[in-house]
Amino acid sequence: MSQTSTISVEKGASLWADAAHRLRRNHAATAAVFVLAIIFLSCLVLPSIDGLIQDPNAQALPKKNQSPSGEHWFGTDHLGRDIFSRVLYGGRISIAVGLITTFVSVTIGICWGAIAGYLRGFVDDLMMRIVDILYAMPFLIVVILLGKSIEPMTTDLTNNTVDLFAGADSSVAEQNATRTWVEPITTLVPLFIAIGALSWLTVSRIVRSQVQNIARQDFIEAARSLGLSHFTILFKHILPNSLGPIIVYTTLTIPGIMLFEATLSFLGLGVRPPNSSWGILIEEGANRMTANPWLLFFPSLFFAATLFALNFLGDGLRDALDPKSSKD
Amino acid sequence: MRRLLLCLTLPLSILTSCQKETEVARANREGIFLMGNSAEPKSLDHQMVTGVPESKLVGALFEGLVGDDAVGDDVMQPGAAASWSSNEDLTEWTFKLQPEGRWSDGEPVTANDFVFSYRRMLTPDLAAPYAEMLYFIENAEEFNKEQITDFSKVGVKALDDLTLFIKLKEPVPFLPSLTRHYTWFPVPKHVVLQHGDIADRFTDWSELGHIVGNGPFKLIKWRFHDVIEVDQNPYYWDAANVGLNGIRFFPIENPYTEARAFLAGQLHTTYTLPTDLIRTVKEDYPEYLRQEPYVGTTFVRLNTTRPALDDARVRQALSLAINRPLLCEFIMEGYAPAKSLTPKMGSYEPNPVLEFNPEKARKLLAEAGYPEGAGFPRYSMLISRPSARASAEALQAMWKEHLGILVDIQNKDWGSYISAQQSLDFDMASAGWIGDYLDPTTFLNMWTEGNGNNNTGWHDAEFERILDEAAQKAEPQDRLDMLKQAEDILMKEQPLLPVSWYSRNYLLQPNVKGWHPLLLDNHPWKALSLEP
Repeated sequence: MSQTSTISVEKGASLWADAAHRLRRNHAATAAVFVLAIIFLSCLVLPSIDGLIQDPNAQALPKKNQSPSGEHWFGTDHLGRDIFSRVLYGGRISIAVGLITTFVSVTIGICWGAIAGYLRGFVDDLMMRIVDILYAMPFLIVVILLGKSIEPMTTDLTNNTVDLFAGADSSVAEQNATRTWVEPITTLVPLFIAIGALSWLTVSRIVRSQVQNIARQDFIEAARSLGLSHFTILFKHILPNSLGPIIVYTTLTIPGIMLFEATLSFLGLGVRPPNSSWGILIEEGANRMTANPWLLFFPSLFFAATLFALNFLGDGLRDALDPKSSKD
Repeated sequence: MRRLLLCLTLPLSILTSCQKETEVARANREGIFLMGNSAEPKSLDHQMVTGVPESKLVGALFEGLVGDDAVGDDVMQPGAAASWSSNEDLTEWTFKLQPEGRWSDGEPVTANDFVFSYRRMLTPDLAAPYAEMLYFIENAEEFNKEQITDFSKVGVKALDDLTLFIKLKEPVPFLPSLTRHYTWFPVPKHVVLQHGDIADRFTDWSELGHIVGNGPFKLIKWRFHDVIEVDQNPYYWDAANVGLNGIRFFPIENPYTEARAFLAGQLHTTYTLPTDLIRTVKEDYPEYLRQEPYVGTTFVRLNTTRPALDDARVRQALSLAINRPLLCEFIMEGYAPAKSLTPKMGSYEPNPVLEFNPEKARKLLAEAGYPEGAGFPRYSMLISRPSARASAEALQAMWKEHLGILVDIQNKDWGSYISAQQSLDFDMASAGWIGDYLDPTTFLNMWTEGNGNNNTGWHDAEFERILDEAAQKAEPQDRLDMLKQAEDILMKEQPLLPVSWYSRNYLLQPNVKGWHPLLLDNHPWKALSLEP
């Protein structure tokens, strides 16, 4: 056919091309990608278009607790706020928390586990005992303490970011407008750091065992005999070969962290009222579900769909990335 | 597929096979009253607490000189005292104790126990947060503030084992009613001293296994954040007339959870009912819903030692920007928009000074140096339970809309919510106050300097002078007029922003007998009984 395909035939199908091919044939995983794309895009893009989505924090008390209608697609809550826009804005926060925190935690976990697994011996022992100690700590309490101790810095961070976008000499109204979208994200920075700093433990264990396994194989021996540096061997040859389990674990971590965010926000760390995340919307909706079920239904629908999709995608990736599965 | 079906049907079949009797049905059989009590108590030492959840427990474990009546707020029943009398001008009172009065360990309750209790409450080093409730006693305030050190000068004496004599600094016609408040309850001298000194705060004496009371019930189990169980106290002097075998207090902080527990047959009564559930309950379960008047005010407490909040103009502006009628119509349903701090009480009705006037609010805020909210510090408002979040978010939106002021909302559990306010470690707090007795001073006296329930950092010499003067007035109408003046000063200064006047909404099983609407909501536990 075309030039490119000829070349790829000559190169032989790479591991990644194989995996992509297998993933495409997995209908559940493909559907999951599709669902995720729709949810992520609508949360990220729709609120950015001027005038399309109502202000998620605008209260209209006389219009409270309305069931879904043409004006308010998902109805209104107990303060007359539009649930549709709250779900979209809340989704932004939940997704941001899920992705950024997972990125932080996986990055730390990969580096820690890879170094421990590659160096072995005393360093490995030391690093893994540190992991043991961190495992033994009560996760929730440590996250709260850590988050609370970083929290005072967020005020400065918020002010600086607002100045950056709105200009330091802008009017109060302009500053407040900028603050409306800057603040929900900057106030979450302690949460990103605190969860990220403590949830890398399992990743590091997985990576370490992978690295130990791969480091004993012949092609690594070959790389070493070529005189490559430890850094190159570790990050160019070993890690790419252990990415499969890491990716799978990552897709399964994101939903867990989204759930954890809901817990923390409820405890006062993280999302501050009147801003919301899916976790907060669900908590508020669950309290009022007998009277106004739509308050619970729509946020749960989005949250559950995202969790399912991420789980299906994770399953699909695990199958697709399994090097032992047959090539076709 | 079969496994999936099994997964789905198994829980269902378990659920349906568990259609046994509800907890309430079993409790009815056993004569046990199940009550939602909102929060884990800070302590059971009633000289160290200030909250309503604690008062419910204390009322079961202890008894004051005068008892509550099940039907009328104004009716006095014998309590630890069998009878009482006063001199002509209502300043000297003699209480005759129950000859059969005993602590729950069998020791007799004596007049000395009361003298010891009031001495402990007033001991400066104990720093009891509610000591002011005893300031009606002659020289009590002086002793509490270390102006005198000789307790024999304080107007409390044990004439003999069963006779207590109290001399007041001013005429107090409502003294019998006052002694129904838990600050006037006795503590067991022999047990308190066994676990520490008279001035030791939070000793073990009030813990499970040690605590001894003179009330109709005794503590038998205390599982933190789960349940507090009390059973009938066999040594209680009126044990024959106690209608319940026991009470279980459940500290359910989330009122939505509490309402669900009630509707699932796990509680006889709830502590409260979130206002947004009233409509559904009214339609679906009208037999459970209770809506009753209650002397109480919800307000926002301000820390007037914080910059900006130390300026009365700013506080006025915050108050003027609150649209109270809107709030009460759509969020605090059933509550009335507050027009001042004290709700109407008998012949006392304060001047209706509070209004919604965003125009004037903006002007005052600009005068104070924060035009359009520019440069206003970022403060956060404490709330103690999720149901308070709706009204807090509404206030947040009103201040943002009308004043350009941004306020955060912070949730704390009951204990740290109270501590933060007592140590002035807060900016604003959404709070409420329930009257302790039927007199406006229960709302006004707390805003004086050093009062354990003030917690605003605000005090005013003129305000305190008028209160003192009012206390000396013999003519009731003159006294109320003076109190009205004091309230005007308070509302001009606004160290607190009244929001609404309570009504009490809650759920009650119809088979609970002896439970009648009471303004102060102090239902005597011994009068309750359960119909099977």
